Amino acid sequence: MATPDLLFNLRNLFYLGAYQAAINNSDVPGLDADAATERDTIVFRSYIALGSYQLVISEIDSSAATSLQAVKLLALYLTGDKEGAISSLKEWLSDSAIGSNPVLRLIAGIIFMHGQDYNEALKHTHSGGTLDLHALNVQIFIKMHRSDYAEKQLKIMQQIDEDHTLTQLANAWLDIAVGGSKIREAYLIFQDFAEKYPMTGMVLNGKAVCCMHMGSFEEAETLLLEALNKDAKDPETLANLIVCNLHLGKPSSRFLSQLKLSHPDHVLVKNAASSDANFERALQAVA
Amino acid sequence: MLTKFETKSNRVKGLSFHPRRPWILASLHSGVIQMWDYRMGTLLDRFDEHDGPVRGVHFHATQPLFVSGGDDYKIKVWNYKTHRCLFTLHGHLDYIRTVQFHHEYPWIVSASDDQTIRIWNWQSRTCVAVLTGHNHYVMCASFHPKEDLVVSASLDQTVRVWDIGALRKKTVSPADDILRLTQMNTDLFGGVDAVVKYVLEGHDRGVNWASFHPSLPLIVSGADDRQVKLWRMNDTKAWEVDTLRGHMNNVSCVMFHAKQDIIVSNSEDKSIRIWDATKRTGIQTFRREHDRFWILAAHPEMNLLAAGHDSGMIVFKLERERPAFCVSGDTVFYVKDRFLRFYEYSTQKEVQVAPIRRPGSVSLNQSPRTLSYSPTENAVLICSDADGGSYELYIVPKDSAGRSDYLQEAKKGAGGSAVFVARNRFAVLEKSSNQVLVRNLKNEIVKKSPLPIATDAIYYAGTGNLLCKAEDRVAIYDLQQRLVLGELQTPAVKYVVWSTDMESVALLSKHAVVIASKKLVHRCTLHETIRVKSGAWDENGVFIYTTLNHMKYCLPNGDSGIIKTLDVPIYITRVVGNNIFCLDRDGKNKLIAVDASEYIFKLALLRKRYGPCYDGNIQIAVASAKEIDDKDHWYRLGIEALRQGNVGIVEYAYQRTKNFERLAFLYLITGYLDKVGFMCKIAGQNNNLMGQFHNALYLGDAKKRVEILENAGQLPLAYVTAVTHGLTEIAERIAAELGENVPALPEGKSHSLLIPPAPLTACGDWPLLRVMRGIFEGGLDATGRAELEEDDEAAGADWGDEDLDIVDASEVVANGGDGFVDVEEGEPNEEDGEEGGWDLEDLELPPETETPKAAGNARSAVFVAPTPGIPVSQIWTQRSSLAGEHAAAGNFDTAMRLLSRQLGIKNFAPLKPLFLDLHMGSHTYLRALAAAPVISVAVEKGWSESASPNVRGPPALVFSFSQLEDRLKAAYKATTEGKFPEALRQEVDEVKELIEIVREYVLGLKMELKRKELKDDVTRQQELAAYFTNCKLQRVHMRLVLASAMALCFKQRNYATAAHFARMLLENSPQEAQARKARQVMQACQDKEDSHQLNYDFRNPFVVCGATYVPIYRGQKGDVSCPYCGSRFVPSIEGQLCTICELATVGADASGLLCSPTQLR
Repeated sequence: MATPDLLFNLRNLFYLGAYQAAINNSDVPGLDADAATERDTIVFRSYIALGSYQLVISEIDSSAATSLQAVKLLALYLTGDKEGAISSLKEWLSDSAIGSNPVLRLIAGIIFMHGQDYNEALKHTHSGGTLDLHALNVQIFIKMHRSDYAEKQLKIMQQIDEDHTLTQLANAWLDIAVGGSKIREAYLIFQDFAEKYPMTGMVLNGKAVCCMHMGSFEEAETLLLEALNKDAKDPETLANLIVCNLHLGKPSSRFLSQLKLSHPDHVLVKNAASSDANFERALQAVA
Repeated sequence: MLTKFETKSNRVKGLSFHPRRPWILASLHSGVIQMWDYRMGTLLDRFDEHDGPVRGVHFHATQPLFVSGGDDYKIKVWNYKTHRCLFTLHGHLDYIRTVQFHHEYPWIVSASDDQTIRIWNWQSRTCVAVLTGHNHYVMCASFHPKEDLVVSASLDQTVRVWDIGALRKKTVSPADDILRLTQMNTDLFGGVDAVVKYVLEGHDRGVNWASFHPSLPLIVSGADDRQVKLWRMNDTKAWEVDTLRGHMNNVSCVMFHAKQDIIVSNSEDKSIRIWDATKRTGIQTFRREHDRFWILAAHPEMNLLAAGHDSGMIVFKLERERPAFCVSGDTVFYVKDRFLRFYEYSTQKEVQVAPIRRPGSVSLNQSPRTLSYSPTENAVLICSDADGGSYELYIVPKDSAGRSDYLQEAKKGAGGSAVFVARNRFAVLEKSSNQVLVRNLKNEIVKKSPLPIATDAIYYAGTGNLLCKAEDRVAIYDLQQRLVLGELQTPAVKYVVWSTDMESVALLSKHAVVIASKKLVHRCTLHETIRVKSGAWDENGVFIYTTLNHMKYCLPNGDSGIIKTLDVPIYITRVVGNNIFCLDRDGKNKLIAVDASEYIFKLALLRKRYGPCYDGNIQIAVASAKEIDDKDHWYRLGIEALRQGNVGIVEYAYQRTKNFERLAFLYLITGYLDKVGFMCKIAGQNNNLMGQFHNALYLGDAKKRVEILENAGQLPLAYVTAVTHGLTEIAERIAAELGENVPALPEGKSHSLLIPPAPLTACGDWPLLRVMRGIFEGGLDATGRAELEEDDEAAGADWGDEDLDIVDASEVVANGGDGFVDVEEGEPNEEDGEEGGWDLEDLELPPETETPKAAGNARSAVFVAPTPGIPVSQIWTQRSSLAGEHAAAGNFDTAMRLLSRQLGIKNFAPLKPLFLDLHMGSHTYLRALAAAPVISVAVEKGWSESASPNVRGPPALVFSFSQLEDRLKAAYKATTEGKFPEALRQEVDEVKELIEIVREYVLGLKMELKRKELKDDVTRQQELAAYFTNCKLQRVHMRLVLASAMALCFKQRNYATAAHFARMLLENSPQEAQARKARQVMQACQDKEDSHQLNYDFRNPFVVCGATYVPIYRGQKGDVSCPYCGSRFVPSIEGQLCTICELATVGADASGLLCSPTQLR
C-alpha cells in the first residue's frame, strides 16, 4: 500500500479557499522536514490570503527555509513595499543556489503578475515543475487571453495528476475563460468540489460565475448570497453580487459601497473609478 | 453451478419438487422418503413404510399428495398433510423404478423391472393400463406434459413412445367401471388402450432415462453406453438427431431445461453436465469427488434443479437470476433481456435505453452482475463474469432513450469489479496486483492505486472513495489521500447499500446484514438462517431488506421484524414511505405496498423523539404520541414542535403534560392574552398562587395582582402594589385593614410600572422551509441538469436568432487572433513552426524534474513569452454597432458616437449611470490561486449548452427589454392604475413602441405642467389641455385628460369645444359618474358657441410641437423631429436638444435606433 498523503487535506482546503480551515487543520503529525516546510508554506500563504500580511512578516524569521522567505516577500509586496520586495526577489532569483526554488518562482510569478508584467512572471514560471507553478501559468495565460497556451499548461497538469484539486481547478478556470459549452463542465467541476469537500466561498463563487455565464442570474444570486453568509467581506463575492444584481435589475450600490470600503484595490472598484473618468473623457471627445 | 441446498443421507434414488412450496422429496436407498424445505434447510418430514429402496417419488400438482414406488413392488400414495399412506397399489411383479402423476387425469404411470409400464387410476385405485413391449427392465416412464404420450427407457436398449389417446378417450367418455375392469383384463399383455408409437433404437447399451421436451417434439435419453441422445419425432415417425458424448460412465438421468435451451445430464461418473441443446456441445461440467449421480429433478416453475447422489442430494441452479441494477435519484437502471433499461419511480414508466453486448461464449453466468451509473455523464458501467471478469462502459446519449436502433460500441476491459468513483472516473479492480486502476470515460488509465487489504470486490463509497471487500472484512479507502477511512470485520459481503444521505451503509452477506456508519463504525448485525437478497433504506433510516421468503425491517439499534412473507424472491430497489419498489427475477419492476406503521412506531419509541424521525412530519408524531401517551413523550414532542415552530402542537403537548407554566408563557409570547387570562383562572382554581400571580403579571392586570396578594394574606405587598398602580380606593381599603402596619413607601424614588407590551397580532405556526440534501447523483444531476436545461430553453426563446452573429464574431477572433500573432512573430505562413517554439521544448521536460541549478539566468535568456491575446471586450467592439455593447466593453467614446450617429443623441450626461452599469456588469470575477490577481471573465449573451468554446458571443447587457417594461409599468402606476399592453412581439418593434409610448406621455405631462404654471392665460390653458387630449394615452389616462379638458373649457364657456371633449369622453367608455357628467355637459353646451378662440381644430389631424406646444397640422410644411424619440417640432427648434427625451438633437441626421443584433444582419 502506498504511503498516505498526509498533506492532502490541508492542500485541498487551501486551494479551495478554506484558508482559516487550512490554518486550523495544519497540525498534522508525522511530517518529515520537507513536508513540514510545505505545510508551513501553505499555512503562511493562507494567512496572506486572509490579509494577515504583518503576521506573516513577523512570524517568518531570516533562518526560515527559502520557500517561507519567498512567502514573506509576497507579504511584504502586498503590504505596499513593492520596490523592496521586487529587488530582493530579483536578487534571489539570480542566485543559483535558490533561484530555482519552485515556491520562490511561484511567488515571483504572483508578484510580477500583480504588476501586470506577464513576460517577467512567465520568465520564472513557464518551466513549471510543480502543479502550483503550472496552475499559475494557466492563470497568467488566461489573463493574457491566450487560452491556447493555458490549455497546454493544463495538459501537463493532467498528465501529472488529472484528479488533483489544482488540476481540476485550473481546468475550471480555463473552461470559464473559453466559454461556450465548457462553462457547464466548469460548473460540474465546482459541483464535484461542493459534494466532496466542505463548501467554500470560492467554490460558491465559481459556481455562481458559471451560472452567470450560462445566463441564470437568479441561481447565481442564491449561490452568492450563500457565499456572502460565509464571508460578508469576500471581495469576489461582493464584486460578483454587484454584477449579478445589475443583470437582475436589482440595486447593487450597497455591495459596491461595501466593496469600496473593504477592498478599494479590487479590479471592479478600480474599473468603476476609471470608467467614470473615461466617460467624462469620452464626453469631451464626442462633444 | 450455484448450490442452494445440500443434504447428507443414504443414496438418493428419487427426487420431486413441490410445484409451489419450497419443498423437495427425496427417496432413499434405505427405504425412507424425506421431505425437505430447501429454503429453510430443514427436514419437514420422513415417510418410512417401504421395504427396501424407494426409487420413484412424485408430488401431485394440486393435491396434498405424493406417490412413491419401491423395490417392495409397491406403489404408495401418501397425504403429506395427514402424514399418512392413503393406499398401496399392488400389481407390479418386480422393483418399481419410477412413478409419476399425470398433470390432469387421476393417473399414475409406473415403470418396473417386470418389463411393464402401468397406468393406474388413483381415485379408483385400480390399474387402467399395462404397457408391454419392452423386453428388459423398464428404467423410467413419464407422461408427456401436454399430449397423450408416454416415453419410456429400458435396458433392452430402446426408448419407446406410447400413444395413450385411447385410454384418455375412455376416461373422458362416461364408462362403466366394471366394463373397463374386464376390458383391462383382456387388454393385459397387449391391450389397445396404449400402443407403442415409436421404438427408438440407437443406444448400444441399456437406456436409463428418457424424457420429453416441455414444448418441442424432442426426446432426450441417456444410457449405459455413456451417451446422451437427442431424438425428434413428428406424427408418423421418430428419428435420432444427435449424440452428446462426454460422460465417462453410465448416464443415469437426463432432461431438457424448462426455460433455457440446454440439456442437463448426470452420470455414475460423478458429474453433472450441461449441454447446449442447439449447438449440442458441452457447456459446463460439475464434478463431485466421490458420489455417483443417480437422479435429476427440475422444478416445474422455478429455475431450480436437484440431483441425487450416493450420499445425499443437492438443490442448485445454473445461473444467477438477480438482475443487475443501480438506483440513481428517481430512476433505477437495470439490465433485462440484453437491454439496458431504466424505470422511473415517480411515473412508474419503463424505458429501454440501449442494447448491450451478447457474451461471446455460450457459457453460463455471463450476464451482467453489477451495474454502476454516473448520472451527469449518463454513463453506465456493466460488469459480468464473461471472459474471466470484464466490464463494459456505455455512454448513453441523452436523447437516445427509447430508441432501439441505437447501438454503440462499448468500451471494454478486464476486471470483474468496476464502479464509478466520481462523475467521470471509474475504478477497476485488478485482483492479481491488488490495486485499482482509475480510468476516465475514454477508458484511459488515469491513476493506479494499490489497495490496503486483499480485495476481491469493490463498491462505491462516496465520491473518490472505494469500499473494498475482502474475505472477512471491508474497508473504505480514499483513493486520493490513500487513506483507510474505516475498516470492519464482516462475513463475506455480497452487496452494499448506502442510505441516501450516505451516512449509513448496509453490508449484505449471505446470511447476515451488517449496518455501519459511513466510516464503517459497526452499528448492528442481523443474522438470518436463509439467504439475504436485497435491501434499501427508507427515509427514516430504517433498512428494509428481503430474504428468500421474507421482507423485513431493521431499526438503527438492530431490532428487526418481518414485514411480510414473499412467495418468490424479489430485489428491493427503493423504499418510499409505504411503497416498496423492487425488481423480480424476470427483470420486472413491481410496486409493493406494505404497512410501515409497525416499524415507524417502533422507531419512534426507540428514538424517543419525534422530529428527526419524522423529518417534518410531526403530524404522525402526534398520532404516535397519542398512542404511547406518556408524559415524557409528550414533553419531547413539545420540544420538537417548538423547534419546528408548530405552535398548535406545542400547545397540545403542554396541555397533555399539564405543563401550565409553559403553556401560559406560550400563550403570552404568541399573543393569546385571553388564553393567558384563562390560565390565570385555572391557576386560581388549582390554588397555584404563584402561577396565578405570574399570569396576572403577564397580563399586566394590577387589580388582579392586588387581589391575589390580598387573598394570599400578603396585605403589605397588596397595599404597595395598589398604591404604585394608583388604585387608590383599593389601597385605602387595604390600608384600613392594615391599620398601623401600613408600610412606608420609599420617598423620592420614581417608579416605573411593569406593564407588558400589548401584542399586535396573535401568531400561528411558523412557516417551514424544506431543505433537501443532495448526494453524488442527486445534487449534481437533479439541480445541475434540470436548471441548465431550463436556461437553455429560456435562452433559445429569447435569443433564438443569434447563432449567425456568434459565428461572425468567432471569425473575428480567429482572423484577428491569427493576424495578430503572425505579425508579431514575423512568421506569417508557418503555423507549425510557431507551434514548435519555446513551449514544446520546455514542456517536454518531465514535469517532476528539477529545473537545473542556475537555471534562473538560462530561463530568462531562452524564454520568449507569447504576445497577449485579444480581450473579449475588444472583440465585442470590433464588429458591433450596438452602442450598448460598446458601453459594456468600456468603449464609451465609440458608444457615444454610435448613439450620436444612429439617434442624433447629443446630451449624454443622463446616460452616464447606464453606461457605467453596462460596463460594470460586463465581467465576472474568478479567484484563482490565492493572493494572485483575480481573473475577470467577460459575460456573454445567449449561452447554450452546445455553444462552441472559444467562440465569442456578444456581451450580456445588464439592461433588457423586460426591465424597461417594468419601469414603464411603474410609470403607469404612478399616473393611475394602468394595465400594460398585451403580449410582446419583436424586440425591436417593442423597443420602438415603448419609446413612442413614453414620448407621448412625456409630451402630455410636460404640457400639463406648463398648463399648471400658466395661471392667467386661460386660453393657453385650454389649448394645452386640448393638446393633451391629442396624445396617445391609455384609455384610463385619456378619460382623465378629457374630463379635465372638458371641465376647463366648460368653465371658460367654450361650449362647443367642451361638448367635443364630452363626446370623446363618452366614446372612451367612461365610468358611470364620468359619463353622467359628460352627458350633462353635452346638454348644457348644446348649440352654444365658444367664447374664446382656441388654436385647436380637432377636425384637422395634428401633432404637437414638443418645445413650443403648438399644433402642427397635417400638411403644414417644414416640421422637424427628434431622431431618438420621434417627437415633432416646429422648424425653429431644429438643432436644439430635444426637450422630450433630453438626449438627441432635433432634426439631426441619424440612421435610426439599433437595439438588437438581429438588426445587424
